[in-house]
Amino acid sequence: MSAWEEHVGAALLGTARRPPPALPDAPDAGSDAAARLLDQAALLTVRRRAGLRPARGGADPVAPAPPEDLPPVPPAAAARLDRVLAGEGDGCLAEWLGLAADRGLRVPARVVPDLLEQGRGKDGWHLRAPIAAVAGRRGVWLALQNPRWAWLIASAADPGTDDPAVWTGGTAEQRVAYLARLRRADPAAARAALLDVWDRDRAVHRPEFLTPFGAGLSAADEEFLELALDDRTGSVRLAAANLLARLPESAYAARMAARARACVRAERRTVRRRAQTWLHVEPPAEHDEGMARDGVPFHPEGSFAPGRTPAPPRAWLREIVARTPPATWTGAFGLPPAEILALPVTDGAAAGRGADDLHLGLARAALRFHDAGWARALLTAGVLLDEPRVLGELVHELPAAERDDAAAGLVRWVDDARALTDGLLRTLPRPWSGALAATMTAKVAALLERPAGTANTALQALCASAAHGFDPALADRAADRFAEVPAAETAAARDRLAATLRFRHDMLKEFPP
Amino acid sequence: MSDRWERGHVLALAPDAAAAKAAATVARPAAWTGAACDGEAAWGECRGSGKSVYRVSVDLTGPAFRCSCPSRKFPCKHALGLLLLWSDGAVPGGRAADRPPWAAEWLAGRRARAEDPPVRATARAADPATAERRAARVDAGLDDLDRWLRDQVEQGLARTENAPYALFDDLARRLVDAQAGALAGQVRALAAVPRRPGWPGALLAEYALLRLLVHAHRRPDLPAPLRDTVRARIGFTVPREEVLAAGERVRDRWCVVGVRDTAQDRLATRRAWLRGRGGRSALVLSFAPPGRPLDASLAAGTEVDAELAFFPGAAPLRALVAERHGAAAPAVPDGVPIGAFLAEHAAALAADPWLDRWPAVLSGVRFARRDGGLAVVDAAGDVLPLRDTEPWRLLAVSGGAPVTLAGEWTPRGLRPLAAWHDDEAVVL
Repeated sequence: MSAWEEHVGAALLGTARRPPPALPDAPDAGSDAAARLLDQAALLTVRRRAGLRPARGGADPVAPAPPEDLPPVPPAAAARLDRVLAGEGDGCLAEWLGLAADRGLRVPARVVPDLLEQGRGKDGWHLRAPIAAVAGRRGVWLALQNPRWAWLIASAADPGTDDPAVWTGGTAEQRVAYLARLRRADPAAARAALLDVWDRDRAVHRPEFLTPFGAGLSAADEEFLELALDDRTGSVRLAAANLLARLPESAYAARMAARARACVRAERRTVRRRAQTWLHVEPPAEHDEGMARDGVPFHPEGSFAPGRTPAPPRAWLREIVARTPPATWTGAFGLPPAEILALPVTDGAAAGRGADDLHLGLARAALRFHDAGWARALLTAGVLLDEPRVLGELVHELPAAERDDAAAGLVRWVDDARALTDGLLRTLPRPWSGALAATMTAKVAALLERPAGTANTALQALCASAAHGFDPALADRAADRFAEVPAAETAAARDRLAATLRFRHDMLKEFPP
Repeated sequence: MSDRWERGHVLALAPDAAAAKAAATVARPAAWTGAACDGEAAWGECRGSGKSVYRVSVDLTGPAFRCSCPSRKFPCKHALGLLLLWSDGAVPGGRAADRPPWAAEWLAGRRARAEDPPVRATARAADPATAERRAARVDAGLDDLDRWLRDQVEQGLARTENAPYALFDDLARRLVDAQAGALAGQVRALAAVPRRPGWPGALLAEYALLRLLVHAHRRPDLPAPLRDTVRARIGFTVPREEVLAAGERVRDRWCVVGVRDTAQDRLATRRAWLRGRGGRSALVLSFAPPGRPLDASLAAGTEVDAELAFFPGAAPLRALVAERHGAAAPAVPDGVPIGAFLAEHAAALAADPWLDRWPAVLSGVRFARRDGGLAVVDAAGDVLPLRDTEPWRLLAVSGGAPVTLAGEWTPRGLRPLAAWHDDEAVVL
């Protein structure tokens, strides 16, 4: 026992019970035992503190991070990111990250832990892809040391190694990353690698292994995917069906088209002595095994919308049309999309019934098969007015030059503020520019000028949407326009909108063009 | 004309994070009418919610703030917002003659008070009878402390485990009555010791050093610098004016290697650790009651050419900034390897055995894992564990490569405050 430990022991027990140990080189401290213990302890304490020697060995230096290959963001942008992370700018983090990711820049290392923390949990999932892009190699290096940040390893395109041993021996996340990289480089090799382990791998991993197959999807994958349609795991079957439904030339597409055409027939009718073509819509009578195998579930996803849940057969019809290549219809009826959409629809019982199911299915098919022609026709046909979200999504399928005008047209149509902010504006492409920006500026200004109290909630929702919607390059001008509005009662909403727009405008300027 | 401050400097004046955030929302030109500034002041009228308009003036030389709003925060968001606008260059320059009467009056009043400071209590402290009375009280208080310490050790420290805070608070109160304020603070802080692992040794060390202090105070033959150290530890303060007038002056390029805030007894304390290019260390303390901003003039990670005036003592550490000779700029301090740092600390401890905090600036150290915690290891293979560390930002900046690490060295270990890598720095 060291002299110090002896002293601590004596002090714990008390000098009344145990006399202080002797310390040869201590100054004479008189007869009081407690005083002597304290004086000797003082000597030992200072001696211990001053004589402290560093430890040798036993420490495991952290392995160096790989060098970065992306350039860093400019200092001003880095300072802006600090402000955004501190809560300024009303939630501009996603936009900042997007600006940096688009330019192939990385963040300063000091903010990487904060960003990795942001990407955790439910609220952070939409930030994960851009964070993975800007966190650099330092991000993966850090995440490998902290299990809380495993999500980055999963979403980073970089599995950390090229070693094929990862495919057989790595973690599930590493294996998905490895497969994704292989798929981008050599789709056939990725398919072969997966087939190799397909029967042996644990069921929980297999749906995730199909995710990378969206890249480089081709007719060569059909055979394998048809095999997966008979898998014992439901989520694997659904993933395979969703992939097959993107191959317009496949046997799957042909089966689906046959089903769809059985449900939707062209009919010649004579109404008031004029011959017309009608579309007769008849949902499938029953849910057969073939439908189930091809990924049309008994209760398709999204068929439970509160208040307007369609009966199952109508939901099947929507799903079947949505999985049918839209070119099927132009071929079958010999008409361009716009004219097909103009045809009157009936379900045999009442005119007009079934039209919503058909048009919604067509819209989803246009999205699935990225069919700009159908998207354009759907956007101008005046259909699906109850589905502003779908309309907003269709705008994405148009060529870039047409989007602003189409979006502006939709915005002018939708009068209900709620449908606008909760529906259409959520799915319309951002940032708003051109005709869309002009229309939205007018809409916001008009609402600001209204007398107070009439539409306060709507105004706040619209301002919040507009604050992040405008193209930041135009934001300064929009802010100036709103600042002119003489609106004392709505000043708070307006000021916040203008402040956020200016913040985003400044944010953009700090990045290289 | 004073230079505009950086945004970070302005926000550092905020009493809390909420005020800083609120200030950013007030800092937009549309909210202000008649905002202007000259070399010494900025002023303007800010439209609040509803119909109220607040008159805000800021004396940039202080800085000092005045606002007619009812906020109890100080400075309020309006004053901070005005400063933020000013720092962005969005406040137009004016002449002193353009100051509105409400601002001019306040500023003139401040100038008058500054030129003609009220007669302070210095005269009273110099009164020999008062000093004698206090000395007698302190002597009695120290005798009381000595008895208490001996009693604790005689009865055994074991009964201190889970002792109520009152055990220490009662003694601390008696020491306050005995006008030994600094000692009272140390005693009150002891209450936390028996709640930490390894407490018996730590408590004995603290008791032993307190007894050493009592001893030292009683000795008539102490050298003057050590006597100053002892008196400061007990609670005899040296007035600022005296330090500025007679303290040791050292001019150097001082790096602010770390800033740490603590709160005790409803008083916030900010410790700014400085390290001169000549190798000298210094500590600049500032205090503020709750809700008031602490002195933000020394920002971690910067270097300033300044003359410091040191408080007297055997190992002079605490200092005042007597004169600045230039603006602060980011800089990397000079560090030493672990062995050299420990030798330097030992030398300081030889002069002042009660030394419980010392700035460490270690160069060329890498982070390492040791016993589940973080440690640093230098090129020679010496290892020093780090305490209370959220490791991730340090690790992120280092990327596993050698860094310069600054921290506060205490008997419990090294608490990191800042780190510098070739590419970037991080201030914790």
